[in-house]
Amino acid sequence: MQTTILAVALGLMAVVALVFCRVFSFVNAETGTANTGSRRSKFFWGLLVLGVLVTAGSLRQWPHAIATGAGVVQVNATGAQWSWEIDTRKIPVGKKVVFNLHTEDVNHGFGVIDQSGQLLFQTQAMPGYINKVAYVFDEPGQHRVLCMEFCGVGHHDMTDTFDVVAD
Amino acid sequence: MSEARIEPHSGAVKFTMLIAGAVFTLMMILGLLMRAAQGSLIELDPALFYQILSAHGAGMVGTAGLSGAAIMWYFVGRYVALSAKMYWAFICLFLLGVVFILASIFIGGYGGAWTFLFPLPAMSGGAWEPWAGALFILGYTSIGVGFLLYYLAIGYPIIKRYGGLGRAMAWHVAFGGADPEDAPPPTIIAAAVVTVFNTLGIVVGATVLVASLVNLLFPGFVVDALLAKNMIFFFGHVFINASIYMAVIAVYEIIPEYTGRPWKTTRIFALAWTSILLFVMAVYPHHLMQDMVMPGWMLVMGQVVSYLSGLPLLVVTAFSLCVYLVGSKMRWDLASALLVLAIAGWSIGSVPAIIDGMIVVNKVMHNTQWVPGHFHIYLLLGEVAMSFGFMAWLVQGREVAREGMSNLDKLAFGAYVLGGFGFTVMFLISGAMSIPRRWAVHLPEWILQDQIATAFGAVVVLSVVVFVLKYVGGLRR
Repeated sequence: MQTTILAVALGLMAVVALVFCRVFSFVNAETGTANTGSRRSKFFWGLLVLGVLVTAGSLRQWPHAIATGAGVVQVNATGAQWSWEIDTRKIPVGKKVVFNLHTEDVNHGFGVIDQSGQLLFQTQAMPGYINKVAYVFDEPGQHRVLCMEFCGVGHHDMTDTFDVVAD
Repeated sequence: MSEARIEPHSGAVKFTMLIAGAVFTLMMILGLLMRAAQGSLIELDPALFYQILSAHGAGMVGTAGLSGAAIMWYFVGRYVALSAKMYWAFICLFLLGVVFILASIFIGGYGGAWTFLFPLPAMSGGAWEPWAGALFILGYTSIGVGFLLYYLAIGYPIIKRYGGLGRAMAWHVAFGGADPEDAPPPTIIAAAVVTVFNTLGIVVGATVLVASLVNLLFPGFVVDALLAKNMIFFFGHVFINASIYMAVIAVYEIIPEYTGRPWKTTRIFALAWTSILLFVMAVYPHHLMQDMVMPGWMLVMGQVVSYLSGLPLLVVTAFSLCVYLVGSKMRWDLASALLVLAIAGWSIGSVPAIIDGMIVVNKVMHNTQWVPGHFHIYLLLGEVAMSFGFMAWLVQGREVAREGMSNLDKLAFGAYVLGGFGFTVMFLISGAMSIPRRWAVHLPEWILQDQIATAFGAVVVLSVVVFVLKYVGGLRR
C-alpha cells in the first residue's frame, strides 16, 4: 500500500511541478488573451469533483471500524515509558483481532510492522482512554511493535514483538 | 480604493530578518546533525538528540512565525500607521521566550519536543526536571503574549482604517456584491484573516500552556489528555499555517514589481481568504486520526477540510501567480526566483499533505517520516523560501534587480532547489518504508536513506549560508 501511496504522491507532485515549469516557459513570451476565468472555474470544479470521488471512495468503508461478536480475539496492550505490556503473544492468523490500547503515563503510539518492515496499522495510546483498532493478519510470522508517538528519551527503544500463528 | 503609502519600519524589519536568517541557518544545522546521527555518520547521545529535536522544532516554528510576522508588518505598514513601540515589545517578548526555551533545553535538559504533548513535560522519565518543562512552557507563553500584542497592533489600525474586520476581510465584496475596486488590498485582507485565526489559535494555545504549567507545579491537577491534545494541535496547526499565510504577503507585494501587474483583490480572492479562515481552524483533527476515541465526524471533517484547504492555494494563489507570470516582462533575480519557488514548493508540498490527511492513508503513514516529508516541502521550499526571497528583495534595491542573477545567485538558488527537493523526497521515501519519525537511533536497514538525506541537507545549508551572507552584505551597503 505504501508503495502505491508514494507513487501517486510523487506523480501528482511532478504534475504540479511540470505545470509551473510550463508557466515559466511563457514568461516574457507573446501570448494571446486567455479566458482565465473559465480555466480557473474548470480547474476548481475538476478538483472539487475529484475530491468528492476520492472522499467517498476512501470513506465508503469506515477505516476505524471495530469488529464485534464471538470469535473476535481481544488483545490488551499497555504502553509505559519505555516498554509494552501485551497480554497475548500468539495471535491467530485470519481471525478478527481487536487491540485495546492503554497507557500508564504519557501518549504512545502502537504501530505494528510485518516481516517485510511495512507498517500494517497503528493507533495512539492516550492517558485516561482506551483506543481500539481492528486488524486481520493474513500472514503468520513474528511482528514488531514500534512506538509511533514521541514519548521521551527512550522512545526509540520502545519496541516489542508478538507472533501471528496458524490457528 | 486608493491607498496612501506610509513608510514602513524597515530598520526593525531588517533587524528581525537578520535574526530570522541566522536562526533558520542554525536550526538547519541542527536538523542536519539529527539526520547525520540517524545515518550513523556522527554519534549523538539520544538525550542530546531529543534536546536538539526540541530546539529544532520550536526554533523553526518560532522563526517561521517571526519572519512571517516581520513580512506582514512591513507591508501592512504601507497601508496603515503602525506603532513601532508595539513591534519592539513583540520582538522583546519573543526574544525573552527564546532565552527561556534555550535555557530549558540546553541547561535544563528539556527534550519533550516542540509539541509539549500533555503530560510529557511533567513526565520525562528522569530525563529533565519539572522546572525545565515549566521554563519551556513559560518561553512559549512569552512568545504567545508577544504575538497577541503584535496582532493587537496590526488589527486595531486595520479595523479603524477599513471600518471593521468584516470589511477588512472584504466580506462586502465576497458576499455583498460590492465592487472589488472598493475592497482593501490583498495584503490587508490576508492580515485581517491571519489576525483573526492566529489570535484564536494563540488563545487556545495559552490556555493549554497554562494548564500544563499548573500540572507541572501541582501534579494533582490533571488535564483531560484528549482535550489537551486537541488544543495543542489546534494551536500548533493554526500557528504554523499563520506563518505561511503572513509570509505570502511578500508574494502579493513584491512579484507585481517584477511583472508590472498589480495583485488585485477580486471576489474570488476575497472568498478564498474567507475559506482559509474557516479551513485553517477546522482542519486540525487530521493530526488526531489515530485517536479512535475522537468523534468520527471530526475525523471525517479533518479529511474533507484537508482536501478543501488545497483549493484556495491551488485555484487562487498558485493559479493567479501563473496568470500574472505568463506573458509578463518578468526579470529573474534571487528575490523573484525564491518567491516564485515558494508558491511552487507550497503547492507541491500540499499533495503529500492532503494524501496523508486521508484516514485510510494516515493509518500507515502517521508519525512516519512521511510527515516531516510533507511539512518540510511547504516550509523549506515555501515559507522559508518566501522569507529568503523577501530578505533578498529588502536589501537589493531596484538597480540590482535589473542586473538579474549573478553566477553565485544561480548556484545558490539551484543548490537550494536541488537540495531541498532531494532532502524532502528522502523523507517521503523513508515514510513509505515505514520509518518512524523522531527516533534518535535508526535500524541498520534505514541508514542509507538517512545518509542520502544528510548529503542533500548539507547542500541546503550551504545555499542558505550564501543567502544569509548576501543579506548581511546588502545590509552593510
